[in-house]
Amino acid sequence: MRVREEARSGLEIVLVDIWEGTEPRPEVERFCEMWGIKGPILLDPGAELAGTLGVRGVPTNVAVDSDGTIRAFGAARLDELEQAIDELYGRA
Amino acid sequence: MAATGERDDPAFPVGAACRIDSRSPWRQIAEIPVGLDPEGIAVDLERRRAFVACSRSDFVSVVDLETHEVIGEIRTGNEPIDIGLDEQTGRVFTADAHSDQVTIIDSGTLEVETALPVGGYPSGLTHVPEYRRLYVGNSLGSTMSVIDLDTLETVATVDAEPGAGAIGVDPTRRLVVCVNFVAASANFYDADSFEEVGRLELGTGTCAIGIVPERGEAFIVNSIAGTVSRVDLDKIEVKEEIRTGSAPVGLTLHPSHDRVYVTNRGAGSLSVLGVADGVEWSQIPVGGGPGGIVVDPHDGRILVANAGSQTLSIVEDLLAARPPAPVVEEQSPWIGDKLPAFSLEDYWSGEQRTNHDWAEKKYILNFFASW
Repeated sequence: MRVREEARSGLEIVLVDIWEGTEPRPEVERFCEMWGIKGPILLDPGAELAGTLGVRGVPTNVAVDSDGTIRAFGAARLDELEQAIDELYGRA
Repeated sequence: MAATGERDDPAFPVGAACRIDSRSPWRQIAEIPVGLDPEGIAVDLERRRAFVACSRSDFVSVVDLETHEVIGEIRTGNEPIDIGLDEQTGRVFTADAHSDQVTIIDSGTLEVETALPVGGYPSGLTHVPEYRRLYVGNSLGSTMSVIDLDTLETVATVDAEPGAGAIGVDPTRRLVVCVNFVAASANFYDADSFEEVGRLELGTGTCAIGIVPERGEAFIVNSIAGTVSRVDLDKIEVKEEIRTGSAPVGLTLHPSHDRVYVTNRGAGSLSVLGVADGVEWSQIPVGGGPGGIVVDPHDGRILVANAGSQTLSIVEDLLAARPPAPVVEEQSPWIGDKLPAFSLEDYWSGEQRTNHDWAEKKYILNFFASW
């Protein structure tokens, strides 16, 4: 979906790793190898951004508009994420 | 976070329909720090203790359920992910995923007794006292190990499918059900011969099961689909899909079998689902990234292992029956506001990236954890 949306609309899905409880790099490396992930990944080991936003679970998706406004929050199911992306692009 | 809707409905007066007088249909009792990435929980009814398998710490945290304090840590194999306790022998079993073994602990002395080899990446176990059997789902081995609880001998290794993990047993029908996370399926076996008697295709990310023998039903969690499948155990077919909170991963039954509890890893909550009506009665907030869940038979309190916040939540469900108002998902207060400025390390380059790097672009921030 990440690759498809990037090709379709230029939308970037930026992964933010949280809650590893330990040095995150080896865990993220293993995760990326397992799932073949290549896109942007940010590390938030203290879950500071996540805490500010009130993230309570994973996965949590936050859809951000081009002016920086948050349009959707949560959207963990595929149908919810697709709806959030459609709304971001005015397709809904 | 979500909540059950309006609670001042005169048709459902608080105090009259709830077991105790309260304005919430739940009560938070404790949130206890344990080891890293806690997943499985077992309750020692006799000693009033909880054993919590902390997969990233390679140990089991022992929690006193009266004082709510951690009183010990027991080293296991690598990545203990699920756990069970056999009251008859006093043995605690952990499925050590990265050691391909089950560690056996004496619940009295808190010492490791021995370890048994099983298949590749054991990630789920269920013990059945009346059969004197321990069933272990081996995810990478695509098998189910069957161990005698008394002799500790492996009596069978049964073919399952990729991602074999959670196992449920229906003693009435003498049926064993192995749930396969990767294959998104469940295999049904005769409990005596281990012959496969049925198979079901399920939703993506099947990962937990609970069985209600008197109804002839199983409830199976589909984590990626965000549903629980109600399965008819006589026909071996899905009767209904019940929607839950975000990214459900754990499931347990209330002792009365009138409701099931499902942890929502994506929402930091647990869903209370009515067994008869298939309706989500409420959502109870717990810690971050919850997974494993059990009900303490002593007092009916719910114990939840929170992989994200590395805690054990203890909560009470105060609903006596289905409330009149449906669950209302609360929207994040951040919707419509600007994303706060951030500066985070880029995993690939090691450089700091800020929100300015995505200025004037539409994008999704996907918060995840590798576990």
